[in-house]
Amino acid sequence: MCEPGVHNGNFRNIIVSLAGKGKFPLRGATVKMTSLAASALVFFALTVSAPVFAHHGFSVEFDKNAPITITGVVTKMEFMNPHIYFYVDVKGKDGRAVNWAIEGGPPNVLYRQGWRRDTVKPGDHVTVKGYRAKDGSHLAACVTVTLPDGRDVAAGAGAVNGYPKN
Amino acid sequence: MATPRTKARASRHRNRALPLRSFLRAADLCAAFLFALLPFLIACGSRAASGSPAAAPDLNGVWSAPFTPDISKPLGHQPPFTPYAAERFAKEDEIDDPLTQCLPMGPARGIQAGIMPFQIVQTPAVLTILFENQRTFRIINTDGRSHPKDVDPTWFGDSIGKWEGDTLVVDTVGLNDRTWLDTAGHEHSDQLHLVERFQKIDSNNIKWTVTFEDPKFYTEPWSVTLPITRQNTNIMSYSCEENEKDRVHLRRAKK
Repeated sequence: MCEPGVHNGNFRNIIVSLAGKGKFPLRGATVKMTSLAASALVFFALTVSAPVFAHHGFSVEFDKNAPITITGVVTKMEFMNPHIYFYVDVKGKDGRAVNWAIEGGPPNVLYRQGWRRDTVKPGDHVTVKGYRAKDGSHLAACVTVTLPDGRDVAAGAGAVNGYPKN
Repeated sequence: MATPRTKARASRHRNRALPLRSFLRAADLCAAFLFALLPFLIACGSRAASGSPAAAPDLNGVWSAPFTPDISKPLGHQPPFTPYAAERFAKEDEIDDPLTQCLPMGPARGIQAGIMPFQIVQTPAVLTILFENQRTFRIINTDGRSHPKDVDPTWFGDSIGKWEGDTLVVDTVGLNDRTWLDTAGHEHSDQLHLVERFQKIDSNNIKWTVTFEDPKFYTEPWSVTLPITRQNTNIMSYSCEENEKDRVHLRRAKK
């Protein structure tokens, strides 16, 4: 399911520390493992992590009962406050592309985790795991994003903004 | 005539007597030294007790307290609501959180912003707290002044501080009624009186105790304590309005 990895050796805080160990509540060990069991554990850690300070809560925008996996080509990256946004063209069965908006964590918080503004860039083929917006629009909160080289990184939705809450 | 055996006995006797004598001499010296130091020790002790600036610990640096979405959690129960406050709290929804509108978070909520740390810049007369969140700040006057008489309510109020030994005691009034104390929606009126104690534990730890006093919302003052820890980072930029796209998608969390 989720395969955590190290991005340029820089992603120090990908895995969420449930016990709040380390200097930041989110700071935990960087793990590189491929077994399904380990991956499931990591996904659990990402999705049930303690909520984190953000400018809005998860439950007012996204539906924790509506998990979604989105695969497609990145069309735009906005590495901006208060949340990063990137857009993914997803091809439907009819061959037409639907452009999804993906929301992540605040850029300063992601930067401290190892993200840079070109970590996800237009043209990248990515897979996003997250949760759909409550209003049914083509918007999702991102938990992890699988980069073109196969590595999964936490994008803030599960790890940074406290998504989903509790 | 001294035989080798009596010489050896005398030598053993001297060796046994020597430790006792040198101990007494050392004790005398120590007592004299301590007696000479006494006035300085008394002076130091009284200075610490009176909270003079000379005893003020250094709080400079980048710090953060763990994000506490429900500030009553460390209390173990809901704060002592007045009926008015209890009624409001029951109806509160996260969609109404002032932060959702990118409004300032207020003095105490900013301390516990977790992943968005703050920097303390300390001088003898004033201490500032620079929040990464929305790049807001607090000014705490430590020059002995009082609160102004007719303070107009603002987002961060008027703060004065004084040192009590290892603790900075900050008193804040003049707050408007528009901030929340936490994400859970604990509110307050413009009668809110905050007393915060920043106790320096060691170079990397501060014990922060905040007391909320607001007769309109709480029947009696209540306090919570959170650990503030030093962060190995710099304050970065943050602008809530820069690319805000969420508000149009928000729905009430409560039915």
